[in-house]
Amino acid sequence: MASLRATSRLFTAARPAFRQSIRSFASVSDTAKGGAVPPSKTSTIKEPTHDPEAKIKTFHIYRWNPDEPTSKPRMQSYTLDLNKTGPMMLDALIRIKNEVDPTLTFRRSCREGICGSCAMNIDGVNTLACLCRIPTDTKQESKIYPLPHTYVVKDIVPDLTQFYKQYKSIKPYLQNSTPPPNGKEYLQSKEERKKLDGLYECILCACCSTSCPSYWWNSEEYLGPAVLMQSYRWLADSRDTKNEERKSQLDNSMSLYRCHTILNCSRTCPKGLNPGLAIAEIKKEMAF
Amino acid sequence: MTSIVRPAMLQKTCFAAASRRAFSTKLSSNPATNPTSVLSRKVVRNTFARDAVPGSMRVAAFHASGRRSLLPALPQVVQGTANDPAPVPTPSPSHGSYHWTFERLISAGLVPLTIAPFAAGSLNPMMDAILCGTILIHSHIGFESIVIDYIPTKRLPKTRVLFWWGLRAATVLVGVGLYEFETNDVGVTEAIKRIWKA
Repeated sequence: MASLRATSRLFTAARPAFRQSIRSFASVSDTAKGGAVPPSKTSTIKEPTHDPEAKIKTFHIYRWNPDEPTSKPRMQSYTLDLNKTGPMMLDALIRIKNEVDPTLTFRRSCREGICGSCAMNIDGVNTLACLCRIPTDTKQESKIYPLPHTYVVKDIVPDLTQFYKQYKSIKPYLQNSTPPPNGKEYLQSKEERKKLDGLYECILCACCSTSCPSYWWNSEEYLGPAVLMQSYRWLADSRDTKNEERKSQLDNSMSLYRCHTILNCSRTCPKGLNPGLAIAEIKKEMAF
Repeated sequence: MTSIVRPAMLQKTCFAAASRRAFSTKLSSNPATNPTSVLSRKVVRNTFARDAVPGSMRVAAFHASGRRSLLPALPQVVQGTANDPAPVPTPSPSHGSYHWTFERLISAGLVPLTIAPFAAGSLNPMMDAILCGTILIHSHIGFESIVIDYIPTKRLPKTRVLFWWGLRAATVLVGVGLYEFETNDVGVTEAIKRIWKA
Protein backbone atom coordinates (compact mmCIF):
# COMPACT_ATOMS: atom_id res chain seq x y z
CA MET A 1 0.00 0.00 0.00
CA ALA A 2 2.78 2.33 0.92
CA SER A 3 4.55 1.57 -2.28
CA LEU A 4 1.38 2.30 -4.17
CA ARG A 5 1.11 5.68 -2.47
CA ALA A 6 4.69 6.38 -3.31
CA THR A 7 4.12 5.71 -7.00
CA SER A 8 1.06 7.92 -6.99
CA ARG A 9 3.10 10.68 -5.46
CA LEU A 10 5.67 10.17 -8.11
CA PHE A 11 2.95 10.70 -10.75
CA THR A 12 1.69 13.87 -9.11
CA ALA A 13 5.18 15.16 -9.10
CA ALA A 14 5.69 14.30 -12.72
CA ARG A 15 2.37 15.64 -13.98
CA PRO A 16 3.27 19.37 -14.15
CA ALA A 17 6.26 18.46 -16.24
CA PHE A 18 4.00 16.55 -18.70
CA ARG A 19 1.57 19.39 -18.88
CA GLN A 20 4.25 21.93 -19.67
CA SER A 21 6.01 19.97 -22.33
CA ILE A 22 3.35 17.90 -24.14
CA ARG A 23 -0.18 18.95 -23.33
CA SER A 24 0.13 22.71 -23.42
CA PHE A 25 -3.43 23.87 -23.88
CA ALA A 26 -3.95 27.47 -24.66
CA SER A 27 -5.27 29.22 -21.60
CA VAL A 28 -5.18 32.64 -20.05
CA SER A 29 -2.71 31.66 -17.38
CA ASP A 30 -0.41 30.07 -19.94
CA THR A 31 -0.21 33.14 -22.12
CA ALA A 32 0.20 35.29 -19.07
CA LYS A 33 3.12 33.13 -18.03
CA GLY A 34 4.77 33.14 -21.43
CA GLY A 35 3.92 36.76 -22.23
CA ALA A 36 1.31 38.07 -24.75
CA VAL A 37 1.44 36.81 -28.32
CA PRO A 38 2.78 39.58 -30.52
CA PRO A 39 0.24 41.02 -32.96
CA SER A 40 2.28 39.83 -35.93
CA LYS A 41 1.61 36.21 -34.94
CA THR A 42 -2.15 36.49 -34.41
CA SER A 43 -4.44 35.85 -37.33
CA THR A 44 -7.93 37.21 -37.74
CA ILE A 45 -10.54 35.44 -39.85
CA LYS A 46 -12.34 38.01 -41.93
CA GLU A 47 -16.03 37.24 -42.17
CA PRO A 48 -17.49 37.92 -45.61
CA THR A 49 -19.37 41.18 -45.39
CA HIS A 50 -22.87 41.60 -46.72
CA ASP A 51 -22.53 42.96 -50.22
CA PRO A 52 -25.15 45.69 -50.80
CA GLU A 53 -24.54 45.43 -54.55
CA ALA A 54 -25.40 41.71 -54.62
CA LYS A 55 -28.21 40.71 -56.94
CA ILE A 56 -29.58 37.66 -55.20
CA LYS A 57 -31.93 35.64 -57.37
CA THR A 58 -33.84 32.54 -56.38
CA PHE A 59 -34.07 29.51 -58.66
CA HIS A 60 -36.65 26.81 -58.01
CA ILE A 61 -35.53 23.59 -59.62
CA TYR A 62 -37.45 20.36 -60.10
CA ARG A 63 -35.79 17.51 -58.24
CA TRP A 64 -36.53 13.81 -58.44
CA ASN A 65 -34.14 11.02 -57.63
CA PRO A 66 -34.71 7.57 -59.20
CA ASP A 67 -32.82 6.00 -56.30
CA GLU A 68 -35.73 7.00 -54.06
CA PRO A 69 -38.65 5.97 -56.24
CA THR A 70 -41.22 6.31 -53.47
CA SER A 71 -40.46 9.95 -52.72
CA LYS A 72 -42.39 12.51 -54.69
CA PRO A 73 -40.75 15.03 -56.99
CA ARG A 74 -40.18 18.36 -55.27
CA MET A 75 -38.98 21.85 -56.01
CA GLN A 76 -35.66 22.84 -54.48
CA SER A 77 -34.66 26.47 -54.14
CA TYR A 78 -31.21 27.86 -54.71
CA THR A 79 -30.07 31.46 -54.43
CA LEU A 80 -27.23 32.91 -56.46
CA ASP A 81 -25.64 36.33 -56.70
CA LEU A 82 -26.15 37.31 -60.33
CA ASN A 83 -23.03 39.51 -60.22
CA LYS A 84 -20.92 36.39 -59.84
CA THR A 85 -22.87 34.26 -62.30
CA GLY A 86 -22.71 34.14 -66.08
CA PRO A 87 -25.60 35.64 -68.06
CA MET A 88 -27.32 32.43 -69.13
CA MET A 89 -29.47 29.94 -67.27
CA LEU A 90 -26.96 27.21 -68.01
CA ASP A 91 -24.27 29.25 -66.24
CA ALA A 92 -26.51 29.42 -63.19
CA LEU A 93 -27.17 25.67 -63.30
CA ILE A 94 -23.49 24.85 -63.67
CA ARG A 95 -22.65 27.19 -60.80
CA ILE A 96 -25.27 25.57 -58.58
CA LYS A 97 -23.86 22.15 -59.42
CA ASN A 98 -20.26 23.23 -58.84
CA GLU A 99 -20.68 25.32 -55.72
CA VAL A 100 -23.96 24.52 -54.02
CA ASP A 101 -25.35 21.09 -54.79
CA PRO A 102 -23.34 18.52 -56.77
CA THR A 103 -26.31 16.14 -56.84
CA LEU A 104 -28.24 18.40 -59.24
CA THR A 105 -28.48 16.56 -62.56
CA PHE A 106 -28.96 18.04 -66.03
CA ARG A 107 -27.70 17.47 -69.57
CA ARG A 108 -25.43 19.99 -71.16
CA SER A 109 -22.66 19.86 -73.69
CA CYS A 110 -21.85 22.69 -76.07
CA ARG A 111 -23.17 25.69 -74.03
CA GLU A 112 -23.86 27.57 -77.31
CA GLY A 113 -27.12 26.21 -78.68
CA ILE A 114 -25.79 23.72 -81.18
CA CYS A 115 -26.13 20.37 -79.42
CA GLY A 116 -29.65 20.61 -78.01
CA SER A 117 -28.78 18.79 -74.79
CA CYS A 118 -29.89 21.41 -72.28
CA ALA A 119 -33.52 21.63 -73.41
CA MET A 120 -35.74 22.27 -70.40
CA ASN A 121 -38.78 24.20 -69.30
CA ILE A 122 -37.61 27.55 -67.91
CA ASP A 123 -40.22 29.93 -66.51
CA GLY A 124 -42.92 28.08 -68.40
CA VAL A 125 -41.23 28.06 -71.81
CA ASN A 126 -39.41 25.15 -73.39
CA THR A 127 -35.99 26.41 -74.35
CA LEU A 128 -32.30 25.68 -74.29
CA ALA A 129 -30.77 26.74 -70.98
CA CYS A 130 -27.65 27.91 -72.81
CA LEU A 131 -29.64 30.31 -75.01
CA CYS A 132 -31.91 31.61 -72.23
CA ARG A 133 -30.79 34.73 -70.40
CA ILE A 134 -31.42 34.92 -66.68
CA PRO A 135 -34.02 37.65 -66.15
CA THR A 136 -32.17 40.31 -64.14
CA ASP A 137 -35.28 41.19 -62.18
CA THR A 138 -34.30 39.64 -58.85
CA LYS A 139 -37.79 39.89 -57.41
CA GLN A 140 -39.02 37.33 -59.91
CA GLU A 141 -38.02 33.82 -59.02
CA SER A 142 -37.11 31.46 -61.84
CA LYS A 143 -38.62 28.02 -62.09
CA ILE A 144 -36.91 25.23 -63.97
CA TYR A 145 -38.70 22.00 -64.88
CA PRO A 146 -37.83 19.15 -67.24
CA LEU A 147 -39.51 19.14 -70.66
CA PRO A 148 -43.26 18.75 -70.08
CA HIS A 149 -44.97 15.37 -70.54
CA THR A 150 -41.75 13.42 -70.72
CA TYR A 151 -40.70 10.53 -68.53
CA VAL A 152 -38.07 11.91 -66.19
CA VAL A 153 -34.79 10.05 -65.80
CA LYS A 154 -33.52 12.26 -62.98
CA ASP A 155 -34.05 15.89 -61.94
CA ILE A 156 -34.26 17.80 -65.25
CA VAL A 157 -33.11 14.98 -67.52
CA PRO A 158 -36.01 13.76 -69.71
CA ASP A 159 -36.24 10.38 -71.42
CA LEU A 160 -36.35 11.01 -75.18
CA THR A 161 -36.39 7.35 -76.31
CA GLN A 162 -39.77 7.62 -78.05
CA PHE A 163 -38.74 10.88 -79.73
CA TYR A 164 -35.61 9.31 -81.20
CA LYS A 165 -37.47 6.14 -82.21
CA GLN A 166 -39.96 8.28 -84.10
CA TYR A 167 -37.13 10.18 -85.74
CA LYS A 168 -35.64 6.90 -86.88
CA SER A 169 -38.99 5.76 -88.30
CA ILE A 170 -39.06 8.58 -90.90
CA LYS A 171 -35.72 7.38 -92.35
CA PRO A 172 -33.83 10.65 -91.96
CA TYR A 173 -31.26 10.04 -94.67
CA LEU A 174 -30.95 10.50 -98.43
CA GLN A 175 -32.73 7.77 -100.36
CA ASN A 176 -31.95 7.64 -104.05
CA SER A 177 -31.96 4.43 -106.07
CA THR A 178 -30.31 5.90 -109.19
CA PRO A 179 -26.55 6.37 -109.19
CA PRO A 180 -25.35 9.97 -109.33
CA PRO A 181 -25.30 11.26 -112.92
CA ASN A 182 -21.66 12.37 -112.83
CA GLY A 183 -20.62 9.25 -110.94
CA LYS A 184 -19.58 11.23 -107.88
CA GLU A 185 -22.40 13.12 -106.20
CA TYR A 186 -25.96 14.39 -106.58
CA LEU A 187 -25.89 18.06 -107.53
CA GLN A 188 -28.42 20.67 -106.52
CA SER A 189 -29.22 24.10 -107.91
CA LYS A 190 -29.10 27.11 -105.62
CA GLU A 191 -32.90 27.33 -105.64
CA GLU A 192 -33.25 23.69 -104.70
CA ARG A 193 -30.79 24.16 -101.87
CA LYS A 194 -32.66 27.21 -100.66
CA LYS A 195 -35.73 25.07 -99.94
CA LEU A 196 -33.81 23.35 -97.17
CA ASP A 197 -33.00 26.56 -95.31
CA GLY A 198 -34.94 26.74 -92.07
CA LEU A 199 -35.25 22.94 -92.03
CA TYR A 200 -31.73 21.56 -91.78
CA GLU A 201 -30.81 23.79 -88.82
CA CYS A 202 -32.99 21.77 -86.45
CA ILE A 203 -30.91 20.27 -83.63
CA LEU A 204 -33.63 17.90 -82.37
CA CYS A 205 -33.75 19.36 -78.87
CA ALA A 206 -37.41 18.28 -78.57
CA CYS A 207 -38.52 21.69 -77.28
CA CYS A 208 -41.23 21.95 -79.94
CA SER A 209 -42.55 18.40 -79.71
CA THR A 210 -42.88 18.57 -75.94
CA SER A 211 -44.68 21.91 -76.14
CA CYS A 212 -47.37 20.49 -78.42
CA PRO A 213 -50.59 19.51 -76.59
CA SER A 214 -51.44 17.08 -79.38
CA TYR A 215 -48.08 15.38 -78.83
CA TRP A 216 -48.74 15.33 -75.08
CA TRP A 217 -51.94 13.31 -75.57
CA ASN A 218 -50.83 11.06 -78.43
CA SER A 219 -47.05 10.80 -78.40
CA GLU A 220 -47.25 7.03 -79.09
CA GLU A 221 -48.70 7.60 -82.56
CA TYR A 222 -48.45 11.28 -83.50
CA LEU A 223 -44.94 12.09 -84.70
CA GLY A 224 -44.75 15.61 -83.33
CA PRO A 225 -43.47 18.84 -84.89
CA ALA A 226 -39.73 18.16 -84.73
CA VAL A 227 -39.93 14.79 -86.47
CA LEU A 228 -42.48 16.07 -89.01
CA MET A 229 -40.24 19.00 -89.87
CA GLN A 230 -37.37 16.59 -90.50
CA SER A 231 -39.75 14.51 -92.57
CA TYR A 232 -40.44 17.58 -94.68
CA ARG A 233 -36.71 18.30 -94.87
CA TRP A 234 -36.31 15.03 -96.81
CA LEU A 235 -39.53 15.52 -98.79
CA ALA A 236 -38.26 18.92 -99.93
CA ASP A 237 -34.83 17.62 -100.86
CA SER A 238 -34.44 17.53 -104.65
CA ARG A 239 -31.96 14.66 -104.45
CA ASP A 240 -34.35 12.33 -102.62
CA THR A 241 -36.45 10.08 -104.87
CA LYS A 242 -38.54 8.25 -102.26
CA ASN A 243 -41.09 11.05 -101.88
CA GLU A 244 -44.12 8.82 -102.41
CA GLU A 245 -42.99 6.28 -99.82
CA ARG A 246 -42.31 9.05 -97.35
CA LYS A 247 -45.74 10.57 -97.93
CA SER A 248 -47.56 7.25 -97.66
CA GLN A 249 -45.90 6.72 -94.27
CA LEU A 250 -47.67 9.83 -93.03
CA ASP A 251 -50.97 9.11 -94.76
CA ASN A 252 -53.07 7.98 -91.80
CA SER A 253 -55.12 9.70 -89.17
CA MET A 254 -52.45 9.71 -86.46
CA SER A 255 -48.91 10.32 -87.77
CA LEU A 256 -49.43 13.74 -89.35
CA TYR A 257 -53.05 14.80 -89.02
CA ARG A 258 -53.07 15.11 -85.24
CA CYS A 259 -51.50 18.52 -85.88
CA HIS A 260 -54.24 21.07 -85.21
CA THR A 261 -52.07 24.12 -85.99
CA ILE A 262 -51.76 25.09 -82.34
CA LEU A 263 -48.33 26.54 -83.29
CA ASN A 264 -46.76 26.20 -79.85
CA CYS A 265 -43.90 24.60 -81.77
CA SER A 266 -43.08 27.70 -83.79
CA ARG A 267 -43.43 29.93 -80.76
CA THR A 268 -41.09 27.94 -78.54
CA CYS A 269 -38.34 26.92 -80.99
CA PRO A 270 -35.07 28.17 -79.46
CA LYS A 271 -33.45 28.18 -82.89
CA GLY A 272 -36.18 30.36 -84.41
CA LEU A 273 -37.36 27.71 -86.88
CA ASN A 274 -40.95 27.19 -87.97
CA PRO A 275 -42.11 23.56 -87.65
CA GLY A 276 -45.73 24.65 -88.02
CA LEU A 277 -45.04 25.93 -91.52
CA ALA A 278 -43.23 22.72 -92.47
CA ILE A 279 -46.19 20.62 -91.32
CA ALA A 280 -48.56 22.85 -93.30
CA GLU A 281 -46.37 22.32 -96.38
CA ILE A 282 -46.56 18.55 -95.95
CA LYS A 283 -50.34 18.74 -95.66
CA LYS A 284 -50.50 20.88 -98.80
CA GLU A 285 -48.27 18.51 -100.75
CA MET A 286 -50.38 15.54 -99.73
CA ALA A 287 -53.74 17.22 -100.31
CA PHE A 288 -54.16 16.92 -104.09
CA MET B 1 -58.13 39.16 -31.18
CA THR B 2 -59.24 40.52 -34.51
CA SER B 3 -59.98 37.04 -35.62
CA ILE B 4 -62.33 36.44 -32.71
CA VAL B 5 -64.16 39.66 -33.36
CA ARG B 6 -64.36 39.04 -37.05
CA PRO B 7 -64.70 35.33 -37.80
CA ALA B 8 -64.67 36.05 -41.52
CA MET B 9 -61.12 37.26 -41.22
CA LEU B 10 -60.04 34.08 -39.48
CA GLN B 11 -61.68 32.02 -42.15
CA LYS B 12 -59.89 34.02 -44.82
CA THR B 13 -56.51 33.53 -43.17
CA CYS B 14 -57.15 29.84 -42.69
CA PHE B 15 -58.16 29.38 -46.26
CA ALA B 16 -55.18 31.30 -47.55
CA ALA B 17 -52.82 29.23 -45.45
CA ALA B 18 -54.52 26.02 -46.45
CA SER B 19 -54.62 26.66 -50.16
CA ARG B 20 -51.08 27.96 -50.21
CA ARG B 21 -49.88 24.77 -48.59
CA ALA B 22 -52.01 22.49 -50.69
CA PHE B 23 -51.08 24.00 -54.02
CA SER B 24 -47.51 24.89 -53.24
CA THR B 25 -44.71 23.19 -55.11
CA LYS B 26 -42.00 24.61 -52.92
CA LEU B 27 -40.42 23.01 -49.90
CA SER B 28 -40.86 25.75 -47.35
CA SER B 29 -43.40 28.19 -48.61
CA ASN B 30 -45.51 27.09 -45.68
CA PRO B 31 -46.13 29.90 -43.20
CA ALA B 32 -46.40 27.32 -40.42
CA THR B 33 -42.73 26.44 -40.78
CA ASN B 34 -41.60 30.04 -40.62
CA PRO B 35 -40.24 30.47 -37.07
CA THR B 36 -41.00 34.18 -36.88
CA SER B 37 -44.60 33.80 -37.86
CA VAL B 38 -47.40 33.73 -35.35
CA LEU B 39 -48.66 30.71 -37.22
CA SER B 40 -45.66 28.70 -36.11
CA ARG B 41 -46.75 28.70 -32.49
CA LYS B 42 -47.84 25.23 -31.68
CA VAL B 43 -51.37 25.93 -30.52
CA VAL B 44 -52.14 28.21 -33.42
CA ARG B 45 -50.61 25.81 -35.91
CA ASN B 46 -52.58 22.86 -34.63
CA THR B 47 -55.91 24.59 -34.91
CA PHE B 48 -55.03 25.97 -38.31
CA ALA B 49 -53.53 22.85 -39.76
CA ARG B 50 -56.17 20.47 -38.47
CA ASP B 51 -59.26 22.41 -39.31
CA ALA B 52 -58.29 24.35 -42.37
CA VAL B 53 -56.69 21.56 -44.39
CA PRO B 54 -58.85 18.53 -45.09
CA GLY B 55 -57.12 15.17 -45.07
CA SER B 56 -57.27 14.70 -48.80
CA MET B 57 -55.54 18.03 -49.38
CA ARG B 58 -52.86 17.38 -46.79
CA VAL B 59 -51.40 14.78 -49.14
CA ALA B 60 -48.29 16.45 -50.46
CA ALA B 61 -49.68 17.70 -53.74
CA PHE B 62 -47.00 18.43 -56.26
CA HIS B 63 -49.27 19.85 -58.88
CA ALA B 64 -49.40 23.62 -59.03
CA SER B 65 -52.79 23.52 -60.71
CA GLY B 66 -55.15 21.11 -59.02
CA ARG B 67 -54.77 17.36 -59.20
CA ARG B 68 -55.57 15.53 -62.38
CA SER B 69 -56.76 12.00 -61.91
CA LEU B 70 -58.05 11.90 -65.51
CA LEU B 71 -55.99 9.44 -67.57
CA PRO B 72 -52.80 9.63 -65.49
CA ALA B 73 -49.63 8.64 -67.32
CA LEU B 74 -48.84 4.94 -67.27
CA PRO B 75 -45.36 3.58 -66.63
CA GLN B 76 -43.12 3.99 -69.64
CA VAL B 77 -43.21 1.21 -72.22
CA VAL B 78 -40.56 0.98 -74.93
CA GLN B 79 -41.64 -1.15 -77.91
CA GLY B 80 -38.70 -3.31 -78.94
CA THR B 81 -35.29 -1.96 -78.14
CA ALA B 82 -34.41 1.70 -77.92
CA ASN B 83 -32.72 1.42 -81.33
CA ASP B 84 -35.76 0.13 -83.20
CA PRO B 85 -37.74 2.71 -85.16
CA ALA B 86 -41.26 3.46 -83.97
CA PRO B 87 -43.82 1.31 -85.86
CA VAL B 88 -45.22 2.91 -89.01
CA PRO B 89 -49.00 2.51 -89.43
CA THR B 90 -50.43 1.15 -92.68
CA PRO B 91 -51.38 3.97 -95.06
CA SER B 92 -55.11 4.76 -95.28
CA PRO B 93 -55.71 7.95 -97.29
CA SER B 94 -59.43 7.94 -96.46
CA HIS B 95 -58.46 8.70 -92.86
CA GLY B 96 -55.45 10.77 -93.86
CA SER B 97 -55.00 13.02 -96.86
CA TYR B 98 -58.45 12.58 -98.48
CA HIS B 99 -60.10 13.16 -95.14
CA TRP B 100 -58.07 16.31 -94.57
CA THR B 101 -58.81 17.68 -98.06
CA PHE B 102 -62.53 16.98 -97.67
CA GLU B 103 -62.51 18.62 -94.23
CA ARG B 104 -60.84 21.76 -95.59
CA LEU B 105 -63.21 21.98 -98.58
CA ILE B 106 -66.20 21.76 -96.24
CA SER B 107 -64.74 24.43 -93.94
CA ALA B 108 -63.93 26.76 -96.82
CA GLY B 109 -67.32 26.15 -98.40
CA LEU B 110 -69.11 27.10 -95.21
CA VAL B 111 -67.89 30.70 -95.40
CA PRO B 112 -69.81 31.71 -98.57
CA LEU B 113 -72.73 29.45 -97.63
CA THR B 114 -73.16 31.27 -94.32
CA ILE B 115 -72.90 34.75 -95.81
CA ALA B 116 -74.89 34.17 -99.02
CA PRO B 117 -78.48 33.90 -97.72
CA PHE B 118 -78.13 37.02 -95.57
CA ALA B 119 -76.28 39.00 -98.22
CA ALA B 120 -78.66 38.07 -101.02
CA GLY B 121 -81.73 38.21 -98.81
CA SER B 122 -83.23 35.24 -100.61
CA LEU B 123 -84.67 32.28 -98.72
CA ASN B 124 -84.05 29.44 -101.11
CA PRO B 125 -84.93 26.19 -99.27
CA MET B 126 -82.37 24.33 -101.37
CA MET B 127 -79.57 26.62 -100.17
CA ASP B 128 -80.82 26.22 -96.64
CA ALA B 129 -80.66 22.45 -96.91
CA ILE B 130 -77.09 22.58 -98.27
CA LEU B 131 -76.03 24.88 -95.44
CA CYS B 132 -77.56 22.54 -92.85
CA GLY B 133 -75.91 19.49 -94.36
CA THR B 134 -72.49 21.16 -94.52
CA ILE B 135 -72.66 22.37 -90.92
CA LEU B 136 -73.68 18.88 -89.85
CA ILE B 137 -70.71 17.25 -91.62
CA HIS B 138 -68.36 19.98 -90.39
CA SER B 139 -69.33 19.52 -86.76
CA HIS B 140 -69.26 15.74 -87.09
CA ILE B 141 -65.65 15.91 -88.33
CA GLY B 142 -64.78 18.33 -85.53
CA PHE B 143 -66.20 16.12 -82.80
CA GLU B 144 -64.57 13.08 -84.41
CA SER B 145 -61.25 14.86 -84.04
CA ILE B 146 -61.91 15.52 -80.36
CA VAL B 147 -62.74 11.84 -79.78
CA ILE B 148 -59.55 10.71 -81.57
CA ASP B 149 -57.45 13.20 -79.59
CA TYR B 150 -58.74 12.60 -76.10
CA ILE B 151 -59.94 8.97 -76.12
CA PRO B 152 -56.98 6.95 -77.38
CA THR B 153 -57.87 3.47 -78.63
CA LYS B 154 -54.93 1.88 -76.88
CA ARG B 155 -55.85 3.31 -73.51
CA LEU B 156 -59.64 3.25 -73.49
CA PRO B 157 -60.84 0.92 -76.29
CA LYS B 158 -64.38 0.48 -74.93
CA THR B 159 -64.92 4.17 -74.16
CA ARG B 160 -63.64 4.98 -77.63
CA VAL B 161 -66.20 2.67 -79.27
CA LEU B 162 -68.94 4.08 -77.05
CA PHE B 163 -68.13 7.69 -77.96
CA TRP B 164 -67.60 6.83 -81.62
CA TRP B 165 -71.07 5.37 -82.00
CA GLY B 166 -72.54 7.93 -79.65
CA LEU B 167 -71.25 10.68 -81.92
CA ARG B 168 -72.71 8.96 -84.99
CA ALA B 169 -76.07 8.57 -83.28
CA ALA B 170 -75.99 12.23 -82.26
CA THR B 171 -75.17 13.31 -85.81
CA VAL B 172 -78.05 11.24 -87.22
CA LEU B 173 -80.37 12.67 -84.56
CA VAL B 174 -79.36 16.23 -85.39
CA GLY B 175 -79.73 15.45 -89.10
CA VAL B 176 -83.29 14.17 -88.58
CA GLY B 177 -84.06 17.20 -86.41
CA LEU B 178 -82.78 19.61 -89.03
CA TYR B 179 -84.77 17.79 -91.74
CA GLU B 180 -87.92 18.15 -89.68
CA PHE B 181 -87.13 21.81 -89.04
CA GLU B 182 -86.55 22.46 -92.73
CA THR B 183 -89.63 20.64 -94.00
CA ASN B 184 -92.24 21.39 -91.35
CA ASP B 185 -90.98 24.71 -89.94
CA VAL B 186 -89.39 27.91 -91.25
CA GLY B 187 -85.84 26.67 -91.80
CA VAL B 188 -82.49 27.65 -90.29
CA THR B 189 -81.89 30.93 -92.14
CA GLU B 190 -85.35 32.27 -91.42
CA ALA B 191 -85.10 31.18 -87.75
CA ILE B 192 -81.82 33.04 -87.29
CA LYS B 193 -83.28 36.07 -89.03
CA ARG B 194 -86.18 36.13 -86.60
CA ILE B 195 -84.03 35.67 -83.52
CA TRP B 196 -81.30 38.08 -84.61
CA LYS B 197 -82.14 41.56 -83.43
CA ALA B 198 -78.94 43.48 -84.01
